[in-house]
Amino acid sequence: MAQQATILNVQRFTLHDGPGIRTEFFLKGCPLRCDWCGNPESFTRQPEVGVFANRCISSELCDDCKLVCHDLQMLIFTDSKLDSIDRKQCSSCLECAQVCPSEAIRPWGHSMTVDECMKVIIQDRGFYERSGGGVTVSGGEPLLQSDFVGQLFKACKQQGIHTCLESSLYANWNKIESLLPVTDLFISDLKLMDSQRHKQYTGVDNHKILENLITLSATNKPLILRIPVIPNINDDEDNIKASADFILQQMQGKVRTLQLLSFMRLGEEKYQSLGLPYKMQDLKFDRAAFQKKVEKIAVYFNQRGIHCMIGAKEKAEL
Amino acid sequence: MDNFSLDAEHLQVQGTQHHTLAKGLDDFDKVYGLGYEVGHEDWSPYPRVNYLRQTFLDRPYDIDVERLRLVTQSYQANEACPRIIQCARAFENILLNSTLHIYDQDLILGEIAAPAKASPIYPEFSVDWILDEIRNSPFEERSNDQFYIRNAQDRNEILALCEYWKGKSANEIITAHLDEDQKKGSHMGEKVFQTNNYHFAGIGHFAMDFTKLMTLGYDGVLQQAREAFAKLSKQDPDYSEKRDYYKATLISLEAAKTYIQRYATLAREMAKVESNIKRQHELQQMAQNCEQIAGGAAQSFWQALQLFNFAVTLTQIEGNGHSISYGRMDQWLFPFYEKDLEQNAVDKSFTLELLEVLYVKMNNPTKLKDKGTVKVRNGRGFGGESLTIGGVNSLGDDATNDLSMLMLEASVHTRMMNPWVCLRLHENTPYELKVKAIECVRAGYGHPKSFNDGPAIKAMISKGLSLEEARNYAVVGCVEPTLPGKEFGWLDAGYVNTAKMLEMVINGGRILAGPNAGKQLGPDTGSLESYKNFDEVLESVDKQFAYWCDQLCSCLNVTDKIHRQVKPTPYISAFFEGCIESGKDMTYGGVKYNGTAPQAAGIATCADSLSSIKELVFEQKKYSGKELLDAVKDNWQGHEKLYALVNSSKIPHYGNDNDEADQLFNFMFECYCRHIKGRRNARGGEFSPGVYTVNANVGMGLYTNASLDGRKNEEPISDNMGPVHTAGGSHDISGPTAIVNSVTKVDHSLATNGTLLNLRFPEDAVSGIEGRDILLSFVDEYIAKQGMHVQFNIMSSEKMRAAQKAPEKYADMLVRVAGYSAYFVELGKPLQDDLIHRTELRF
Repeated sequence: MAQQATILNVQRFTLHDGPGIRTEFFLKGCPLRCDWCGNPESFTRQPEVGVFANRCISSELCDDCKLVCHDLQMLIFTDSKLDSIDRKQCSSCLECAQVCPSEAIRPWGHSMTVDECMKVIIQDRGFYERSGGGVTVSGGEPLLQSDFVGQLFKACKQQGIHTCLESSLYANWNKIESLLPVTDLFISDLKLMDSQRHKQYTGVDNHKILENLITLSATNKPLILRIPVIPNINDDEDNIKASADFILQQMQGKVRTLQLLSFMRLGEEKYQSLGLPYKMQDLKFDRAAFQKKVEKIAVYFNQRGIHCMIGAKEKAEL
Repeated sequence: MDNFSLDAEHLQVQGTQHHTLAKGLDDFDKVYGLGYEVGHEDWSPYPRVNYLRQTFLDRPYDIDVERLRLVTQSYQANEACPRIIQCARAFENILLNSTLHIYDQDLILGEIAAPAKASPIYPEFSVDWILDEIRNSPFEERSNDQFYIRNAQDRNEILALCEYWKGKSANEIITAHLDEDQKKGSHMGEKVFQTNNYHFAGIGHFAMDFTKLMTLGYDGVLQQAREAFAKLSKQDPDYSEKRDYYKATLISLEAAKTYIQRYATLAREMAKVESNIKRQHELQQMAQNCEQIAGGAAQSFWQALQLFNFAVTLTQIEGNGHSISYGRMDQWLFPFYEKDLEQNAVDKSFTLELLEVLYVKMNNPTKLKDKGTVKVRNGRGFGGESLTIGGVNSLGDDATNDLSMLMLEASVHTRMMNPWVCLRLHENTPYELKVKAIECVRAGYGHPKSFNDGPAIKAMISKGLSLEEARNYAVVGCVEPTLPGKEFGWLDAGYVNTAKMLEMVINGGRILAGPNAGKQLGPDTGSLESYKNFDEVLESVDKQFAYWCDQLCSCLNVTDKIHRQVKPTPYISAFFEGCIESGKDMTYGGVKYNGTAPQAAGIATCADSLSSIKELVFEQKKYSGKELLDAVKDNWQGHEKLYALVNSSKIPHYGNDNDEADQLFNFMFECYCRHIKGRRNARGGEFSPGVYTVNANVGMGLYTNASLDGRKNEEPISDNMGPVHTAGGSHDISGPTAIVNSVTKVDHSLATNGTLLNLRFPEDAVSGIEGRDILLSFVDEYIAKQGMHVQFNIMSSEKMRAAQKAPEKYADMLVRVAGYSAYFVELGKPLQDDLIHRTELRF
């Protein structure tokens, strides 16, 4: 039984992943590698360092990272400012992040116990109660740490706090099944209906995901489904039609809301901090025309009888 | 302090919403837009209101010489009179001889003895800065808050008239009564505290008893004064002072009647030559209104508004104190509304139109201020015209009525600086009223502010008021809870720079840096080089604050006594319980409750500075006290590592729901309040602390050396109850719920003169019906947690930057500054930047 989880970030007062005012836990580690991902720091399960070069006050004024680093070759400076870290050599001991005074080096990920999480959760309990909010666990892929999620949600339910799991559902069904009794709301994605293309753009095929969506919808658990609409990747007519067919035929339309999330160029700075390439770098598209297209897609889904909206705001049921 | 524990009581408050039958004209949940829109359409459904609003915006900020001329003539003619009679005669001379103005389409009459939006001059209070600025740094050439003298003739007349007042104004007399020891920390010295407001201007900051005026009329109040005068015994040792007070009262009130009658006559004359029949009828009706209320009680809603406007503008003619607030206007005005509706005298739509006309008119009074003041406090209006709605009645029941709703609608239909609408909230405030208020907030013009009956009533009781009285508080100025007609609180008495006090704490009572570096200003209560443990630091804070609060309060008592000698205000005194009864002017302590209320700035700057000391010197022991001291002496130059560290999240910072940091804020907050509260003042009342600073944190920062929270020399100190944000980074990084939790760990009722919290959300955060409900539940929770006051800016940083670049497109974009809203493009650049730097709460 895992008592601890690797948590990337705890965000209080989130409004977009589930109804009302929520506290959201982003768990670290994800089996998918979506090209458009805005949270690359969530890819690996282990804590790692992020480098924010523009915050470094220069090696002439401060050498704290050099004093703790086991191999100075790993710290790469440009114009005496820390530019990056040689990830192949770095053991992710995180000591440099602990000492860096300017937070130019920050730890991506830290361990938290269920009790520690609950302490943060309880602090905003009054806000959840008034707004119909609660707790959301997201990622990364939280199902990689499903035991922990189960324990956290159980603790939430004991306190009467609403729980929401945001997941790709790329996991074995038994992991999802074990969370059913303690999860009030699921949020998941339909990224691409064509399995090969799914694999091309996310790193994994979609069989398991679609199967789990079908099984989950059969349980009648409240489910919000999202399509991250990405120009030239999944905004074509075929994919949209196939998505609607799937929802209506395979899932019997059991989706509370279908939310269309228009692609935003997010997370470039974070890719840099991790020394990773940003795959959407060269994507060029007309924002206005794209937005119109997304609007048309929303109209299409609604015409097919699927309650669809643009954006992630969710009305609370008070 | 422990938020982890759950109490059953907390669980019960959620979920239940109360409802009201009170209605405005719009649906209670009508959406009025989201944030400011460039090129917006007219907001009011009434063309007249849109016209009046636009004519206001188009008018210049002139300086008008007439009041100065009339006051000077009268003072010269009455030099040998007792001062209070001299004051009354000057007031009378203005009212009998000043030019009257009736503007096209207006429905409410009365200005402040100057044309609309033009500023009169008040030489009784101060003239030296007027002479100096006209000659050396003209008002026209200021970077903000410009005023315009119309021509060379006016300029010369102003200069000549002001010469007469040299050596006679309140400012000069107060200054002459302060010794060097008192001056050293004041605005004339190192600016540990600034009391210049009431050196240069009148006191203001009250809500008079409007119900008394409305029901008795001027004749009734005159009658009361005559009867009290008749009872005055010659055996009374203060016979002559009281006699003079009564005489002054009679002169002032009679002059008020004549003035209103003059307006009636003018309106009749204009009606005679008016060709438009509709307008002719309006002029006749306004003449009739004035004829009735020149002596009598108001008999209709329209007459009540008309009498109200005269009552307020006459106050501003007598003295130029700001924050002449309107009390619980939905309450005292309601009987007239109800009567009109019962008699079918007017329809509800005309009621709203009248309210909107009045709202626009409330913006007309402007006040020329000295350049030092506008540096710390932007804005050309008088300021502080709070209009309170909602709340509980004296029995503790919800007081919402139709006017509560209509007054919010009038606000969102006009969207101007005035009035400063304040919604009193309590646990049974109806859902419909809250939703309407939230819709106003979402429209993004900064009104209304929300006040919490819980801590406010508790604060009022701790000032010595009965529970019934306490429940009738109204908000005056920015955030000051006050009892209308019964309390002269001398609010906003002085700005206290707690960051500067902390400078003395870390450096043996000496100035850290700059031309006066090393100067012994306060007592030596230790320094960072000598403290052995953190408790010694806190003890030193306590001693240093005790010393500076002594200094401050002794100065304020001098100011108080000089205003009594130099500028009593018999007209205003007539509308406060106790003055006519006792034969004493309000400046002599005639009012039932008397306070003096200085307000603190920079509490979070102190708290985060203490956190740096505690963490680095005494807990981690990574730095010596001397190293920290040297860093701020050097304005962080050569201490970049330490600078980065204290601005990082590695140091516990206030505003993140971190108990360790929040305890230090609580210590500072409590320390300031404790040292102010309960001291005796010059009018037989007590001092009362406030923790709000409007936007003075920017100006005070300009005179404050670097501080250990990671602030560099000249940067703003922290604002009001808000967290620190420095050029090195915002210290609040945990979102708005964390801020609310931090802010509400202190007992707000200790700040008996109010607390102030600014929060800013970008438009998209509160969009849609979901956004409305989020904001509503957010406010509900803040109130449940016993925060006293909160106000919102719904405006993204991008929008403010766009307005800086293209001000012409954003001419009427209001922004919530502190207790008040102002036109963003008219603010000085440092304040604009400070508003942008205040953390935008994104999710």
